[in-house]
Amino acid sequence: MRALDRKLLRDLWNVRSQVLAIALVVSSGIALLVMAQGVFGSLLTTRDAYYTRYSFADVFAGAKRVPNWIEERIAAIPGVRQVQTRVVVSVSLDVPGVTDPINGRLISLPDRGRPALNDVALRRGRFLDPDRAEEALVGERFAEAHGLDLGDRLFAVINGRRQPLEIVGIALSPEFVYGIGPGELFPDPKHFGFLWMTRRHLATAFEMEGGFNDVALTLTDRSPSLERAVIVELDAILDPYGGLGAIPRADQTSNWYLQNELTQLENMGLLVPLIFIAVATFLLNVVLRRTVAVQREQIAALKALGYSNVRLGVHYVQWAVVVVALGALLGIGAGLLLAEAMLGLYMEYFRFPLLIYSVSASSILIAVGVSLVAATVGALGAVRSVVSLPPAEAMRPAAPETFRVSLFERLGARRWLSQPARMVLRNLSRRPVRAGLSIVGIAFAGAIMVVGSAMMDSMDELLEVQFNIIQRQDLSVSFFEPVERSAVHELAALSGVLQVEPTNGIAARLRNGHLQKQTAIQALTADARLQRVVDVDYRAIRLDRPGLVLSTLLAEQLQVEPGDTLMVEIMEDGRPVREVVLTDTVDDLLGVTAYMEQESLRRLVRRDDTISGAMLKIDALAEERLFGLLKAMPAVAGVTLRSAALENIQTYMLDNMSMMMSVNLLFAVIIAFGVIYNTARISLSETSRELASLRVIGFTRGEISSILLGELGILTVASIPLGLLLGYGMIAGVMSAFESELFRLPVVVDPNTFLVSAATVLGSMAVSAWTVRRKLHELDLVAVLKTRE
Amino acid sequence: MAVQATAASARHAPVFAMKGVTKVYVMGEVEVYALRGVDLELQEGEFAVLLGPSGSGKSTLLNILGGLDRPTAGQVTYREGDLSEAGERALTRYRRRHVGFVFQFYNLIPSLTARENVALVTEIAGDPIAPEDALALVGLKYRLDHFPSQMSGGEQQRVAIARAIAKRPDVLLCDEPTGALDISTGIAVLGALEKVNSELGTTTAVITHNAAISAMADRVVSLADGLITSDVRNSTKQPAATIEW
Repeated sequence: MRALDRKLLRDLWNVRSQVLAIALVVSSGIALLVMAQGVFGSLLTTRDAYYTRYSFADVFAGAKRVPNWIEERIAAIPGVRQVQTRVVVSVSLDVPGVTDPINGRLISLPDRGRPALNDVALRRGRFLDPDRAEEALVGERFAEAHGLDLGDRLFAVINGRRQPLEIVGIALSPEFVYGIGPGELFPDPKHFGFLWMTRRHLATAFEMEGGFNDVALTLTDRSPSLERAVIVELDAILDPYGGLGAIPRADQTSNWYLQNELTQLENMGLLVPLIFIAVATFLLNVVLRRTVAVQREQIAALKALGYSNVRLGVHYVQWAVVVVALGALLGIGAGLLLAEAMLGLYMEYFRFPLLIYSVSASSILIAVGVSLVAATVGALGAVRSVVSLPPAEAMRPAAPETFRVSLFERLGARRWLSQPARMVLRNLSRRPVRAGLSIVGIAFAGAIMVVGSAMMDSMDELLEVQFNIIQRQDLSVSFFEPVERSAVHELAALSGVLQVEPTNGIAARLRNGHLQKQTAIQALTADARLQRVVDVDYRAIRLDRPGLVLSTLLAEQLQVEPGDTLMVEIMEDGRPVREVVLTDTVDDLLGVTAYMEQESLRRLVRRDDTISGAMLKIDALAEERLFGLLKAMPAVAGVTLRSAALENIQTYMLDNMSMMMSVNLLFAVIIAFGVIYNTARISLSETSRELASLRVIGFTRGEISSILLGELGILTVASIPLGLLLGYGMIAGVMSAFESELFRLPVVVDPNTFLVSAATVLGSMAVSAWTVRRKLHELDLVAVLKTRE
Repeated sequence: MAVQATAASARHAPVFAMKGVTKVYVMGEVEVYALRGVDLELQEGEFAVLLGPSGSGKSTLLNILGGLDRPTAGQVTYREGDLSEAGERALTRYRRRHVGFVFQFYNLIPSLTARENVALVTEIAGDPIAPEDALALVGLKYRLDHFPSQMSGGEQQRVAIARAIAKRPDVLLCDEPTGALDISTGIAVLGALEKVNSELGTTTAVITHNAAISAMADRVVSLADGLITSDVRNSTKQPAATIEW
């Protein structure tokens, strides 16, 4: 090893705690990046492999009842490669020992062989025996949620009749990677399940013999123009059979959620790591500048011995490179571990039969490369001023620092300040850029904390709005077919039912010129109290004018404003197209919805006065008996409990967010500690001579500590409001990046979040201060008097 | 001479008394004896010069007197107090109340002006001289608001003296106060020390390797190799202004 390399290692060892603190900041950035990239890459690769291996379809369509011979016509549409027809029905499920209502979807599998499209991945057990009517495969999450195993039995309630089902296999499907029921945000396997049955037996049970009500197809190529053309053709073919409008893969529920998540991961994976790398670069620069200043005479001596400027430049660049390399190693390791943990969480909600770990090496290399370049530039900046001096000049000590009275003192505060307080102010104001950057660095720590916790605050707010202001029913009932409005009275007559409100919904395609959107129109009564349309200030909007009310996001997508006319294509009974006026838009938070008053909707579709569901307020004591009564009603397709939905979301948040919160807390502490500790060490190094002089003339340890820590305190306290502000800005940015059709998170920051953020920063400061104070106690009072700095 | 010294000690109780003071530094595996059983008393109001080459132990002696270091063996008393047994807090209190230091490299706080450097001490002292008066005493009343970087070495050293005396210390300990200065500024600094000693009566100990300075002292103690080699009282004191080297 060359002598200069030994010097490098020993210099680094001397400032090892600072090196470690900076390396940790670097590693946090790289770990976050590796984690996000790892989760993103793995999910993407896994999804694509899953879709390919299990033949996930390109286009999906539902209808009322289509004769089997139509399948040939569909297969003949130009551009269609494969067709899979199925019978799919929604049912109530009865799991022995469970009183809560459970909704389910039964999906047919071919009597012989495997489906050409949307194949199932058998996790355990065996495929169905076509000769046995009661056999079923159940979805894995549903089986787990209820502790169901092979050989267990459950019941599908079909037209009020209990059809027993025996579980012979546990399965997954590419259609239900994110397995949510209708109207749900998060998978709730306790209350919603997927089951597969043989086509013949399912068709028999639902009087669908000789026909199908669901079709999926793949295309010869996935160009958008072909996709559009095929959808138009398919709609035309299914139209006479109650076609509900075909959707492309991109709009398929599970895939849509998955894609949404992937996009978020991709975006999140960049910004935060960059912040860490920027802060680390700043710290490296500050520490190196100080090192170079202390080693000024050594550098001059080395130059006098014949070392070139370039060699010395390289020496200090190596210094930075070692720190970044250390950080990169730690970061890559931690990032891979975190990615695995995150993937574990994802696997709870996104179910795949396989998992392919995939971390894009190029993105990691880019991150490490960017850190290295930034560190090198920082190092060169620090060393340039010294190597450019002629050796003789550099060997003389640097000119004493010049100070001036700080602005704060000139404004009149001077006479109130003690001499130590003046020292603190002047030290800070001598290097305003460094002080400013330190403040910004610490502020980022606070901001990261705010962002982490504010996500929770926003979700809490969303839930509060959704489950206390908008939805106030205890349970909602949906019917297989629209039923007469008089059903409201039947429901109201059940004992334990306190209040009933009818709901109505139709599938529709909203069109404005070439823009169109397939959605459901939800019809409420004008004076609805159990489920309401609520605006951004959480005031209920009365649906008393004929016309549509749209989510603002939906109106924007369709480029319509209140007063404009929309074309509404109703996805049933011959798909009539009507003109409807947009009366209002509403800044709702969840989903994108079209609302209408029930009587207006009835006139629009020109049909009998029917309802498709009802909202109920019930007596909690009568709950269990009521579930039984409802299940036994032949018209009832499903019952959804508000409390169960809320509980499910809260569990999801607790699982997911608590991990994210801990990771954020860790990183915020690392960045806060990194900046504060380094600032403290640098100012200790710069002022140790002064502080020792003060000790000699009689200042106590406490007094000199307060000078050093006063500087830190001012930086930290100044950073707190900035951090809160930055955090607020970042959360607003993150929320608008998260804005999707799925949900819009309100920007809400609980005062506690600010408190926690400030406390984290102050706590990091206390630890840094405590660590540095020990160094203060070791000041060599005698040595400092004998040497010139 | 020794008889005269004894007579003087009879008149006044000594400010400092050292008995058998030994100081050993352990440098790795080597023990270095900086002081080897030194006995010394300093009297009230005395201007003493401790003379010796580098390595003679004079700085160690001064550091022990100033409460910056403790002896390995022997006893040091300041008036009635035992410095050799005092703890960290007691030594800090001792330095704060009783000792004024002047160092070779001034050790001013660069971020504070001359006046503020002095105020640094007057703010924590019991009965201080006003910073302006202390600076006037060393001839710097027109440089009150200058920062160290705006003053010459001699001026900075005089600020250091003003800072040391402003708390009315019982003793003034100076470690090579002219070591970093040229003759004329060195003489100005010595003049300031002389003035403080005569006008305030502050017991003063100056350590130096510059024998010329001993001419202005009441008493000259020479050290070599950790031992006192001579202890001489000057019959006549030469004014600082007339010293040459």
